[in-house]
Amino acid sequence: MSGGILFRGPRPSKADALILLLIIAIAVAAAFPLVWMVVSSLKTPAESMQTPPVWVPATPNLSAFGEVAGVIDARRSFWNSFVIATATTAGILITSLMAGYAFAKYRFRGRETLFAVMIATMFLPPIVTLIPLYRLVTYMGFNASLIGVIVPNLANAFGIFLMRQFIAVVPDELIDAARVDGASELRIVFSIVAPSVVPAIAALALFAFVYHWNAYLWPLTVLQGNTAEYPIVLSLGRLLSYNRGAMNTGLVMAGATLAVLPPLVLFVFLQRFFVDSIVSAGVKG
Amino acid sequence: MLTPAVSLIAVFIFVPIVLTIWLSFHEWSTQTGFGAARFVGLRNYQDLFGSISVGRDFKQAFLNTAVYTGLSVVIILPLSVMLGLLVHQTRVAGGHVLRAVLFSTYMVPMIAVALVWSKLYSPTEGPINQILSWVGIGPQLWLSSPDTALFSIVILNVWQQVGYFTVLVIAGLTQIPTPLYEAARIDGANRIQEFFGVTLPLLRRTLLFSAVIAVINAVQVFEPVALITQGGPANATNVLTYHIRRVGIERAQGGLGSAMAVMLMLSLIVVIVLIFAMARQKEER
Repeated sequence: MSGGILFRGPRPSKADALILLLIIAIAVAAAFPLVWMVVSSLKTPAESMQTPPVWVPATPNLSAFGEVAGVIDARRSFWNSFVIATATTAGILITSLMAGYAFAKYRFRGRETLFAVMIATMFLPPIVTLIPLYRLVTYMGFNASLIGVIVPNLANAFGIFLMRQFIAVVPDELIDAARVDGASELRIVFSIVAPSVVPAIAALALFAFVYHWNAYLWPLTVLQGNTAEYPIVLSLGRLLSYNRGAMNTGLVMAGATLAVLPPLVLFVFLQRFFVDSIVSAGVKG
Repeated sequence: MLTPAVSLIAVFIFVPIVLTIWLSFHEWSTQTGFGAARFVGLRNYQDLFGSISVGRDFKQAFLNTAVYTGLSVVIILPLSVMLGLLVHQTRVAGGHVLRAVLFSTYMVPMIAVALVWSKLYSPTEGPINQILSWVGIGPQLWLSSPDTALFSIVILNVWQQVGYFTVLVIAGLTQIPTPLYEAARIDGANRIQEFFGVTLPLLRRTLLFSAVIAVINAVQVFEPVALITQGGPANATNVLTYHIRRVGIERAQGGLGSAMAVMLMLSLIVVIVLIFAMARQKEER
């Protein structure tokens, strides 16, 4: 017996069978919570309260999803999440491309120091600056609004870092030729440099979008209970408080399923970009 | 070219850092302007280390965060190496599927993770206790007992994050030149000697990076505490991000909250310096 679909080695040993078993077991365990989430969202309220728990609902139904719409404005929440994630991502792409280009291709005094100082902010947990930032944004008149959620996040160190790594290998001749043709620096960034680092842009866009779709602490703080502007993750929190005591697990699970879908769908289709960017950021750094 | 990114980061990160430090020496209500802050010298810090309830709560939150962070790192690093080896090996199929499943959990918003796991942990209608009962382990209280609540949150954090660190390890593994393994085999090394003699030493840089990121991520734990446990039972899950926000934003004690944030920042700097020092010491040996 040689090779096969499951065993690639010339002669599968007992150890190989054990490895395969381990892989299957871990994959099942890792996927279990999400599977449980979806299954629970299809249970009837009676089923979700049963002890011991029901593993397969007798009559799977979507009524919990309908109930979600009765408690939170799901459509509005999705729209808010979409606005926050898209606007923030667009800002990050623009600022990161420009700064990454400058750090990769310009020579000026203090370049490495400035870069190091910028990168250091990558290691700063947001809670450290949360209190004065909340006040600053209030001063600017952005509190309790989507603008307040978006504006402080329009530039970040990870984006600058990633762009510098990739733009550094764009040939100087390409940029010099554009300069000779009289192209402005902004034009060079967006129509010469950007097209040659598309995979990095895709990766950064995906990361930024998912990160800001999922973000909780800052929107919660700056929106100050203005539930009309809540993104879906905050509305999900409201769903839980509404549900506390009522024990309607199906409702909460339906809401969670809705919130998880967009980032997960993005991931399934664009997995390669995510993984590649982690690999390149990790290895080159 | 640098102006947009640098000015945004300056206004929304560096100014708040300076303000946090400045405010930590003041008594200040977060609901008022910075001008209303009253200088109190080191009093906030004296309170944090004093024996009144402010100090007790802070010390408990600090300890909880340290335990939580330590446990997360100690579990995530070895686990990510093991999972990385499972994905990276080529003798058995399924590595890519495993990587996809593990990494997909990293895309799930923490709030959804918290909600789903709170149901998984449910002592009566949750599936985890039921599964344990099949192998003869009695029901656990998980999030409802002060003895196990913090560790239960560590487990859900590991579940969410380990895929990211696994991808980092895989990136590290692909960098190890194959001739090193061939040389080890010619010298008669077995699999275990190979792992400790070649794989682990060459993963050191990856693991150093992983350790730092894991620490930074762990101190940010917020959603499970804010939504599920509210810091309880009996303060067992009161971690710093939650505590600082509760004091500094909800109770509007901005000066006190800022002093806590400064302590967190200083501790992080110490921990990261220590991690680097340990890595350097090993390298010299």
